[in-house]
Amino acid sequence: MSERDDLDMMVAEFVLGTLPQVERDALQARRAREPELEALIQQWEARLAGMLDGVEPIAPGPELFSRIQRTIDQQTDQQHAVPEARSAAPDNVVSLRKQLTRWRWSTAVASAAALVLVAVLATQPEPEPQAQSFVAVFQHNDEQPAFLLTVDLTSRQLNIQPVTAEPQQDKSYQLWMVAEEYGPNPRSVGVIGDNFTLDQAALRDYDPETLRGATFGISLEPKGGSPTGQPTGPAIHGFLYPTSADQGKGRN
Amino acid sequence: MYSDSHQPDASPGATDYLSTDQEGSSGITRLLHRVAQQDRKAFAELYEATAPKLMATVLRILKDRSWADDVIHDTYIKVWQKADQFDAERSSPITWLAAIARHGAIDELRRHPARRETASNELDNIADHAPAAHEEISDQQTVKHLNHCIDQLEKDRQDMVRLAYLNGWSRDQLAMHFDQPINTVKTWLHRALKQIKRCLEP
Repeated sequence: MSERDDLDMMVAEFVLGTLPQVERDALQARRAREPELEALIQQWEARLAGMLDGVEPIAPGPELFSRIQRTIDQQTDQQHAVPEARSAAPDNVVSLRKQLTRWRWSTAVASAAALVLVAVLATQPEPEPQAQSFVAVFQHNDEQPAFLLTVDLTSRQLNIQPVTAEPQQDKSYQLWMVAEEYGPNPRSVGVIGDNFTLDQAALRDYDPETLRGATFGISLEPKGGSPTGQPTGPAIHGFLYPTSADQGKGRN
Repeated sequence: MYSDSHQPDASPGATDYLSTDQEGSSGITRLLHRVAQQDRKAFAELYEATAPKLMATVLRILKDRSWADDVIHDTYIKVWQKADQFDAERSSPITWLAAIARHGAIDELRRHPARRETASNELDNIADHAPAAHEEISDQQTVKHLNHCIDQLEKDRQDMVRLAYLNGWSRDQLAMHFDQPINTVKTWLHRALKQIKRCLEP
């Protein structure tokens, strides 16, 4: 048997799966730097892949994709750490990044979703009386229909204030929340009324810990709120913008 | 995340991408190219369209849900990192994805053989190679051709090839089951693979 035949059979058995582990490992180490070997592997993969045709698809569990996203987020965070921001407010920035990436994923999946993004920030990592007060700024590009949201975790009271946001003809702003406990889809907190009012107790049924880890967003919806139960508004992007009495210092 | 009740419109690709026509396959190719640009939306769509097939492939080898979860997790991390290595000229996208998942599962199985309990109905499963109605790995012509070629093999060798490829059986397991020395199994496999290759040649 020629050397080429030997290699072809080794590759064939690798693809079939019966090549012993030591040889499997050696082959896999080689393939990245040997294009010809890689080509042989691809050919055998193509030959045998038809066997998978009869394998009936099985839906993965709902949590698995979130786990994959988290791993990718962690890797991304490690690659793109922002040193100057970290030195200014390390805890907040870290948690902000997490929440930002979570929204990236959420809006990625809810493709039609249009959200002004916001993070709710703990003012201090350790529990203190004022740590129960949270503030979030909703900012829309430079055009700025912006809101300020404050949440008191003790009483679970929220207060939403327009900063530069203006009422939109035949449209309603709607406040959403994403919390790990409730999966990746945004949950409606409430539709913001014509005078920018929202039931102050809209968060009363949520656990303070859940709220502390949650991310909030605002989308522009048809009058009266989203008809689908998920954000549907036009594609407006937002920036995260942490402000609070304690952590705002030192940031530009 | 992918429940129908929440996102009826967000999963148009779930069936299209795996369909037999050219457009389906090129849909996944396009997604992979976007994933190579670190496009998260494309990644979510790719997962939605392909994960059920890969999960079934891996689960068939490992027979353990949480173990399969780990392999699927690692598979999609690799896809995120290496999507730029996918070459549409050389491989169909679903074949490329399935290869990453299958090899991940087989590597796991070889490293931790004790974790998998041999299921008694494996031989029942392998006979079941009738083409499924929709989810397809490659076009039906190719599938039929391969099945035709495998069916030309002696019965034992047909089973060996399918048990190895689909269920992840090692030479040792095949030798035990078919009551043959390992070297005989190796020889049979080589003959079977060569025969398949010849049969598939145009």
